[in-house]
Amino acid sequence: MPVEAFKYSESLTLGVELELQLVSLSDFDLVDASPDMLELLGRAPFPGNVVPEITESMIEISTDVHTGHAGLLAQLQAIRDALVRAGDRLNVGVCGGGTHPFQQWSERRIFSKPRFNEVSALYGYLAKQFTIFGQHVHVGCTSGDEAMFLLHSLNRYVPQFIALSASSPFVQRSDTLFNSARLNSVFAFPLSGRAPFVLSWDEFANGYFAHMERTGIVNSMKDFYWDIRPKPEFGTIELRVCDTPLTVEHAAALACYLQALCRMLLERSAPPPAESDYLVYNYNRFQACRFGLDGTLVDPKTYVQRSLREDILATLRGVEHHSQALGCSTAIDRLHGVVREGSDASYLRRQHAESGSAEGMVGAAIQRFRQTTQPRADQPR
Amino acid sequence: MDWLTRAADLAWPMAIAAAWVLGELASRATRLPRISLYVLVGFLLSHAQVGLLPRPSESAMLFVADVALGLILFEFGYRINLQWLRVNQWVGASGLLASVTTFFAVLWLAAAFGLDPLTGALLAALAMATSPAEVLRVVNEQRGSGQVTERALHLAALNCVLAVFVFNVVIGLWSFQTFGSVSQAVSSSLLVLAVSTALGVVFGFSVPALLRRLGPLGPRATIGLAIAVLLIVALAQALQASPVLAALTFGLTARHRRVALDPAQRNFGALGDLLTVLLFVFVGATLAWSRVAQGLWLALALVGVRLLTQVGATLLFARVGGISWRKGVLTGVALSPMSALVIVLLVHARSRGIDLMDQLAPLAGATLILGVAGPLLTQLALRWAREAHPSPEP
Repeated sequence: MPVEAFKYSESLTLGVELELQLVSLSDFDLVDASPDMLELLGRAPFPGNVVPEITESMIEISTDVHTGHAGLLAQLQAIRDALVRAGDRLNVGVCGGGTHPFQQWSERRIFSKPRFNEVSALYGYLAKQFTIFGQHVHVGCTSGDEAMFLLHSLNRYVPQFIALSASSPFVQRSDTLFNSARLNSVFAFPLSGRAPFVLSWDEFANGYFAHMERTGIVNSMKDFYWDIRPKPEFGTIELRVCDTPLTVEHAAALACYLQALCRMLLERSAPPPAESDYLVYNYNRFQACRFGLDGTLVDPKTYVQRSLREDILATLRGVEHHSQALGCSTAIDRLHGVVREGSDASYLRRQHAESGSAEGMVGAAIQRFRQTTQPRADQPR
Repeated sequence: MDWLTRAADLAWPMAIAAAWVLGELASRATRLPRISLYVLVGFLLSHAQVGLLPRPSESAMLFVADVALGLILFEFGYRINLQWLRVNQWVGASGLLASVTTFFAVLWLAAAFGLDPLTGALLAALAMATSPAEVLRVVNEQRGSGQVTERALHLAALNCVLAVFVFNVVIGLWSFQTFGSVSQAVSSSLLVLAVSTALGVVFGFSVPALLRRLGPLGPRATIGLAIAVLLIVALAQALQASPVLAALTFGLTARHRRVALDPAQRNFGALGDLLTVLLFVFVGATLAWSRVAQGLWLALALVGVRLLTQVGATLLFARVGGISWRKGVLTGVALSPMSALVIVLLVHARSRGIDLMDQLAPLAGATLILGVAGPLLTQLALRWAREAHPSPEP
């Protein structure tokens, strides 16, 4: 089936999807609660959209289209409150984090939906290993060409988003030494990586995609697991590299950073994207996953190396007046705080050290997600 | 006759071996839970039937069976989140309703069959029980995960505590009536409960603290916990308290201290599996066919009534408690087992000089029926709720 025509979307509008963990409040392991949660949430109108994900211990929420930080944050908070209230009734904790620190992938159960069953049949254990939790941010584009331009201009900033959102240091009870171990699971898929370097939508749709479709490898855009992926039926590009942050406030901040960044890029005052930008892409991305904010970024043109921290701070300064125009200065301030104090990955590591167990780490993540809702004195520690 | 006594020493190990082998073979063929088969083997080889095994209350096996049940109850207590019962009060309400209605329904049933009130009360108290042992073993075997699993576990804990409490109170009344001694009455009920709970709480605070002092133990922490269970069961027996309540309270309290029970050590590993075989063979071995036959009709009625009240209670509060009608029904079904708990309570009573086995003959029948059918019902409930996820047979 040929790819759809790129729908017009108002420029710089936002939509956020979050994949969240469903954890048993009895033993803090992942629990196959999504059918029960969905049944309970279905009884009342939900302040957003909630759907199952590939395994039954994941749940995905998505917001409506927003133009600014305030509206987006308000909806995310309402969604969080609804999820937490439902979870409390079911002895289920909801939390962020890119991976669950000690779940065993072999114990996961595939949610029974045709697409998931297909994916599971095709990819074998990779499907169960895909019990990872990410944030996807959609940015509206007025045309397919604008989408492709943004997609390739953003590649240089992908490591920044990885470092700022990293929240998956532990896998199977061990410290992986990565800040974002989640992305290693994504890269295992054959159709992961990045979009081919074409700047015209026409060339992409009728050239590349048509070709790929004829080979029989892909049927739709959904089969690609790229870091940034165009979504023609929404009229957006989708950034998929972020780990699910531990709070919805952080999620909103990341989305608005992307919005401000796109506004800056659309000025077209920077040198245009080139194929050679991708020479350093894989390695910069690895640095961000492994070292987070302390990682090293290499510029493909000037060969200058600098730390991700410095790079992020420079960009944050650069988008300041754009963020003011969009009304999301609080988001940028929040990200300054993250650069100063460390990402969610370092928070989780600290919690592990303090509590002495992986369960304590999960307990802390659950508490952090609840934040401004009615604090529930869960078992101390 | 020397060789006879020597042969008798072999009885238990042989029985356990036979039970395990038959359990492995038959469970693959019939898809019955293994523990159902252990109960059957124990029943067949029992002193009262074939005469192979010695009388349970006279052997050291009682202590080992206590430890086996203690380990399961500890792990059970460890998995319970009391906070949830406070947040979602309908769960606790359905448990309370189930216990209360079961008690009065069985009381009425006993009267209808012509039993005297006190015997009826004893029967009713024990019928309230849901045995956590079978429920947890089946949940772990099936790797249950979901609302029916959660609610079955929490309600089983609630039923178990209520049943032990009421049973001890009724025993107190019974022994007062029988022996006319107030001290017997008192010692048989409230003191037992208080001492057992205190024991559990003390262990629950001190053992995790000790384990933490010994340094990062990782999976070896489970050995420490198993030894602690051994100690608490021995202490409870020595103090004439309830090892059941002590072990459960220990688990509940220890959870708060967060010494993590590594999931790989669920069931306490091979130790737990071995002791489970023994426990359920033991349960079967206490049952005599003569008693089973004697009270069979009442036993069947009891099983039926119990199922009705439990399903009714969970169904009533299903929707308001946050789950579907279907899962409400299945939760009640999953609460069917009662055998291990009932037998251990009765054998303990007997070793304290209160022999209820003959009086409560209908219970023998109910125990046999539910010993085999109980775990099967729990397994079916989990399967029908689509919450079972057994590891693929190699």
